[in-house]
Amino acid sequence: MRSTSFSYLLFATMLIALGAIFLWVPTEQEMGIIQRIFYFHVPSAICAFIAFFLVFVGSVQYLRTREDKWDRLALCAAELGVVFGLIVLISGPLWAKPVWGVYWRWEPRLTSMLITFTIYAAYLMVRDYGAHSTQAPRLGAVFGILAFVNVPLVYYSVDLWAADQQLHPPRNVELAPAMLYTKWICYAAFFLLLLRLLAQRMELARIETAVARLRQKLSDEV
Amino acid sequence: MSFLGRALAILRKDLQAEWRTKERLSPMVFFVLLVLLVFNFSFELGGAALREIGPGVLWSAYVFASLLGLGRSFADERENDALDALLLAPGDRGAVYLGKMLGNLIFLLAIELLSLPFFILFFNLSPGFFLVPLLGIFLLGSACLASVGTLFAAMSNNMRLRELLLPLLLLPMILPALISCIEATALILANGRFEKLLPHLQMLGVYAVVFTVLSLMLFEYAIEE
Repeated sequence: MRSTSFSYLLFATMLIALGAIFLWVPTEQEMGIIQRIFYFHVPSAICAFIAFFLVFVGSVQYLRTREDKWDRLALCAAELGVVFGLIVLISGPLWAKPVWGVYWRWEPRLTSMLITFTIYAAYLMVRDYGAHSTQAPRLGAVFGILAFVNVPLVYYSVDLWAADQQLHPPRNVELAPAMLYTKWICYAAFFLLLLRLLAQRMELARIETAVARLRQKLSDEV
Repeated sequence: MSFLGRALAILRKDLQAEWRTKERLSPMVFFVLLVLLVFNFSFELGGAALREIGPGVLWSAYVFASLLGLGRSFADERENDALDALLLAPGDRGAVYLGKMLGNLIFLLAIELLSLPFFILFFNLSPGFFLVPLLGIFLLGSACLASVGTLFAAMSNNMRLRELLLPLLLLPMILPALISCIEATALILANGRFEKLLPHLQMLGVYAVVFTVLSLMLFEYAIEE
C-alpha cells in the first residue's frame, strides 16, 4: 500500500512538473524553446550524483556488515546513476547543438561528467561480467568506494586541464522566479522518481537472489 | 617482523625474481618502443606537432605498457598457487599490498627510464636540463599508476575475464592523474614556469597518497578468498 501512495505522489509531482515546464514557465529569451531541456538536464545530473553517493554508502556498509541489502543498494544505485548520467549526456548535446553550434565540446563540465560516467559503467562491468557471484558484492564494494573518492579528483584535474574554455553555464546561474520554481518542482519530481525506481529495482534484486537460492537448493536435492 | 619489514621482504622477492628472469621488463620496454612506432605513423610526429601531442603519446605508451605489466604482478602468484601462502603470513595484509605496490612502482619507473631514450631519439629532442623535472613527473605518475593499479591487479586476478577487466577498471580511474602527467610533461618540454607546473604536481601527489592509503585499507577485501 505504501508504495502505491508513493507512486501517486510521484505521478502528481511529475504532472505538475510537466505542466510547469511546457505550459507555465516563460520561454528563455536568448536560447528560445530549447532552454526547457534545462529542467530535465540539471535534475538528472543531481540525481546521478545522489545515486553515486548511495553506491559509496552501500559499498562501505556492505564491507562493514556483509548484509546483502547494502550490496543491493550499491548495485541498484549504480545502475540508476548510469541511467541518469546517460540522460545528462544525451540531453546536454541536444541542448548544445542549437546554442553552441556543435553537439560536443571537450570542456570541463562535459569531460568530467563523461569520465565519471565511464567509471560507473566500469563498476557495472565488474558486477555483470567480471566476478563470480560470490565475490561480486565484495569486489564491487571496493571499486564503489574508490570510484566515489575519485569523483572530486576528476573534477579538479579536468578543471586544471581546460579551465580557459568554458561555455557551459556555471552552477550558480541566476534565474527568473518562475524558472526557479519550475527548477525546484523538477528537482522534487526527479528525486522522487529516483527513490521510486531504486525501491523497485532493489525489491527486484532481492527476489532475484531469493529465486537463485531456491533454484540452487532444488538442484542440490535432486 | 614489522609491517614495513614484511612489505620489504615481498618487494625483495619480486625484484629478485624479476632480476633473474627479466620476463616482465624486456617485453614491456619493447612494447613501449612498438607503441611509439605505431603512434608515429598515426600522427606524423616530427616537427611542430611534437610539442602538442608528444607528451600524450609518451604517456599513452606508458599506460598501455603498465596495463600489461600490472596484470602480471599477481599472475605469477596465482599460477604457482603462491598467493595462498602469501596470505597465510601473519599480520596485516596491507604489507602484501605495499610490497607489491613498491615493486610495481620500481618496475614502471624502470620501463619509463629505459624507453625514454627512444622517445628522445625518435622525436629529435636534445637531452638537457628538462630531464631532471621530467624524472619527478615519472616518479609521481608511476606512483599514481602503481597505487590503484596494484589493487585492481589483485582484484582482477580473481575475476573471470581478468585480462579484459583490468584496463576497463584502471583506465577511467587513472584519467585524472594521466591528465596531469601529460599536462606537466608538456609544460616541461615547453620550458613552462614552475608556478604553472605546481598544481599538476599537487594533483599527482594527492592522487598517489589518497589511493595508496585507501588501497592499504581495502586490499584485505580485494584479496580474500
